[in-house]
Amino acid sequence: MAMTEVSRRFAQHEELITGTEAVAQALRLADVDVMAGYPIRPYDSVMSSVAKMIANGQMDADFIVAESEHSQFEIVKHASATGARVFVGSSGVGWMYAMEAIVVTAALRLPVVALVGNRALDDPGAFGVEHNDALMVRDSGWLLYWVAEGQEALDATLLAYRVAEDARVSLPCALSMDGAFLTHSQHLVLVPEKDLVEAFLPPYDLKKRRFHPDNPISIAPQYNEDWVMETRKQSDAAMRRARGVIAEAYAELKRLTGRGDPDPFVETYRVEDADYVLIGMGTVAMPIKVAVDQLREEGKRVGFLRIKWFRPFPDEELRRLLHGRKGVGVVDRDYSYGSTRHGGAVYNEVRSALYDLEDRPPVIGFIAGLGGREVSVDDVFQIEAKLEQAAAGDLGAESAHWIGVRGPVE
Amino acid sequence: MASGSVDVTYRGIFQKILAGNIVKTLVKASRHSGKIGGTISRYSDSPERNGIPAKQFAVIAESQDELHVEMAKYEPDNIRLIAALDDTLAKGHESWAWYGIRPIHLGLREGGALLVVSEHERAKLLEFIPRLPFEWRLAILPGEKSFSGLWVYHDDGTEFRVLGAIARLIPEVVGLEELEKEVGKGPKAEQHLDWLRQGYREVQVGTVPAGVGAPNTYEPVKLPEWTEMAEAIIVPAAPRGGRQEAFKKFTTRSERPVIDFDVCTQCKQCFVECPDSVFELTPEGYYNPEYEACCGCGICAEVCPVDDCIVMVDELAFADNRDLYEEWKADRAAYRQFFQGLLERERVTARSSRRKVSA
Amino acid sequence: MAITQTRPQERPELAPIRTIRDVPVEEFYTSGHRTCQGCHSALLMKYLAKAAGPRTVTIGATGCMYVANTSYYATPWVIPWMHTQLGATGSAVIGAAAGYAVQQRKGKLAEEPINVIGIAGDGGGADMGLSAISAALQHTQYNVLIILYDNESYANTDIQASGSTPWGAVTAFTPSGTVKRITQDRWKKNTPGMLVAGHPEARYIGSASAAFGVDVMNKIRTALRVGGPTYLHVHDACPKGWDFDPRYSRELGQLAVECGIVPLWEVIEGELQYNGITRQIVEGRRKRKPVREYLMRQGRFAHFTEEDVDYFQAKVDEMWEKWILPGVLPVQALPEGLPKPGRRAAGLADGAGAAANGAVAP
Repeated sequence: MAMTEVSRRFAQHEELITGTEAVAQALRLADVDVMAGYPIRPYDSVMSSVAKMIANGQMDADFIVAESEHSQFEIVKHASATGARVFVGSSGVGWMYAMEAIVVTAALRLPVVALVGNRALDDPGAFGVEHNDALMVRDSGWLLYWVAEGQEALDATLLAYRVAEDARVSLPCALSMDGAFLTHSQHLVLVPEKDLVEAFLPPYDLKKRRFHPDNPISIAPQYNEDWVMETRKQSDAAMRRARGVIAEAYAELKRLTGRGDPDPFVETYRVEDADYVLIGMGTVAMPIKVAVDQLREEGKRVGFLRIKWFRPFPDEELRRLLHGRKGVGVVDRDYSYGSTRHGGAVYNEVRSALYDLEDRPPVIGFIAGLGGREVSVDDVFQIEAKLEQAAAGDLGAESAHWIGVRGPVE
Repeated sequence: MASGSVDVTYRGIFQKILAGNIVKTLVKASRHSGKIGGTISRYSDSPERNGIPAKQFAVIAESQDELHVEMAKYEPDNIRLIAALDDTLAKGHESWAWYGIRPIHLGLREGGALLVVSEHERAKLLEFIPRLPFEWRLAILPGEKSFSGLWVYHDDGTEFRVLGAIARLIPEVVGLEELEKEVGKGPKAEQHLDWLRQGYREVQVGTVPAGVGAPNTYEPVKLPEWTEMAEAIIVPAAPRGGRQEAFKKFTTRSERPVIDFDVCTQCKQCFVECPDSVFELTPEGYYNPEYEACCGCGICAEVCPVDDCIVMVDELAFADNRDLYEEWKADRAAYRQFFQGLLERERVTARSSRRKVSA
Repeated sequence: MAITQTRPQERPELAPIRTIRDVPVEEFYTSGHRTCQGCHSALLMKYLAKAAGPRTVTIGATGCMYVANTSYYATPWVIPWMHTQLGATGSAVIGAAAGYAVQQRKGKLAEEPINVIGIAGDGGGADMGLSAISAALQHTQYNVLIILYDNESYANTDIQASGSTPWGAVTAFTPSGTVKRITQDRWKKNTPGMLVAGHPEARYIGSASAAFGVDVMNKIRTALRVGGPTYLHVHDACPKGWDFDPRYSRELGQLAVECGIVPLWEVIEGELQYNGITRQIVEGRRKRKPVREYLMRQGRFAHFTEEDVDYFQAKVDEMWEKWILPGVLPVQALPEGLPKPGRRAAGLADGAGAAANGAVAP
């Protein structure tokens, strides 16, 4: 995220904190009411941070130590229904364990904000980042955001509450942060004061949906085929409306903080005149940007596009920014075994988004950095080289390329 | 046409096995004449609740296309015959909220047959069954309603008598001969074949001309569009001091409680123990049942400490859900006479053979 | 702050109901539910809403009391009701109670006691949701009541065995076959006893039956008055799953208590009290009826042989004759020579008492 001039109206101070601590600062500023925690690496340091802030009187909230991830998500779901602003989170198989509660939260249109500290799914119990955990809910009605840096962790948390709680949207939002690179590394972060957040984030108000004795309603009655499709359509409409609300909220956040990208949905890096564009989500942005700079020095016209919002998916932006390119390479930090061209989830979405273009570019899939393996600048060079070859039709098989794996690849 | 579907309408759980056996045997019997078929257990009834009207169907076809056009539905459209296993269903059935009370012969086409297991006469049933704009057939299989529980099935002959009656009504779809072949394969074949032929013989068939029957007030429900429904899966609560109007439940009952207010001690037991909150306190301190809400479970009659104060009465003894307490208040002598008549003629007791539920 | 523990509050609206005459007339769970004829779990819903009154919210886990109650976009609940997932009753009530507590503390909601009642069936409470209920009973800063309606099977999915299904009962998953007569070979889980043993900070845990309405309503009111996380286990006759004529629901529920299969008791702030018929049995003023009278009324036990009935009787006898707290804790008495347990002997109430009693304090 480009750091521009700091707003003159609102004071902000710099701190050296981890991505999860940056989220915790946002939670304090957002005056979150109820949180539920259960330990799993790497998301859980956010809960340790808020627990400490509560214990030290810096924050007034109830932090409930749950006995499972399923309970964590159910606790905040019901607290949210009473009108409380809530926060929750998990990682890897913990997120999976809570999955039932996670999907109903979206169906109930409760604006729960969750942190997913991205982590490989078990087995083998690896701690490192893979995006498959958060991607499991991609079809369920959760807004999904991928963070790349510490500052963005704080800003995106505030953005998440504003968008999720907006009555036109009213959907839960999950912030994904790469395990280790964001959750356990410290970044320089500008922390605003409460006045900025109060100006940005209106109080959470469920109105006639609040679960309270003054409001006689039944929430989530059981019903079947004659009604369900209408309910699904309502969620679909809310997700469609989310685009406009995000754009609106992002513009306001930029105005107040004095920082942000030109586009709310994607970050573009030297894309404008690029022949080849690499795409990725999360911290893989760092080595890719470095590689782009070095490739540019060699005269190669390469750019990078980072997807910030995976839901709603930025297909308009992708079409606008990618038509007519010589090649697009998607770097997935996830897998989707057996999918089209054996590519990852992001690859399949990007390729689908570009299908309608008359001058659609070749889209090549790359699987990299699984289980937390580092993606190096050299890896990116390799990706770029393969992209050029593949786009020219010189690479033979078109299935996704695994980068950095030991042993033969197809 | 020698194909079509048979709709078996029954009391949930109490007649689930009975209905299931009937539709299964129909399809298997049709195989003996080279037809194909399948059965449909209406998914929307699942899980079935005691007494709440439910349906199962036998779909019998002569070609795969004919079969497939019906088998991906909850209710097939080509109904040739509807079998009502409890005659109180003649009053219609409200299986779920929102859909209102559907006539027992909904879906029947011209010339189609409604078969009712009943001890009542045709004229009595036509007091409740709405008129249709075309001629149809009403058949009565004389007999008591056969009720079982979920685990212990009563093989009392109803299953086979109904099959026999169906063969008589739609022989072009399933004939007696095919049914005899199929039933003859099973256990206790001799007894079952006797019952099958008995049903074939005893069923009383007649036509009902267009326009004959009770007034037809049924209108299909119009469900709201997605923009009209509250967001986030929310419905308004039932009104304070009122009732949930979207589902009234009274078509669940085969019998209703009738109260002798002359002997009622106002003990409140029925009011407290009714799971459906049927009773309403009157200004005089009596507990008056709102029959629209009553599903006829009989708990009130059981827990009432006064002999013959609350008695369960055959549902077909009543044309409507009128307020009997008001009648008692208006003319106690007339009510006494009415109540005595019910005791003598229409009373249903726990030990009556009407209720073949294990007890 | 969250660490302050709630204290019993003055709640005149939750006064004890002495006789059936005192039972409130107003309904907060009314008609329009799609439950079976004679459903005693539905009756329990009516009792709990009546007893708790209008300043109440209810949260119901998946089960009959979800699907049959709110089916097809309609509801019989007059007070607010919300669905929660099958195993989430404990978590859901804690979440809602926390939501109210924080908002009241921060001035976002008016300060008042709101009754938060969670409703789980035996599948949702005694099987899947047990862990969350246990956790809820540790969160002493919140006032919640969890009611488990025990109709002894997964009744909503058409009667499959749960951990709360009686030994030998036929269910969809435990049929009686030609080779295996009994396939439900697990003895019924003692859920309320287990929760008492494991949650010394919970100020109210009780066992009741929907066949005893006044007792149930009083237990609900006591639990709500006492405050903190509380639990009530209610045995409900299920005419569908047990296979009997719906009009006999009360009789079957009563028989379970009269035969000593289901005990009525409550532990209020650590003190055990037996109630009603159970109390008479414990005090020797009433003989237990033979279990046969209960079992043979139900289709689910229709396959029982004499030996099966005898086995069942022997297990129930054990619960009364050998358990250290009959019907509550399945532990046999201490060996001879050790002091009898009790407040004084354990030295918990006061040392002087223990000394006067001639017992040795630990």
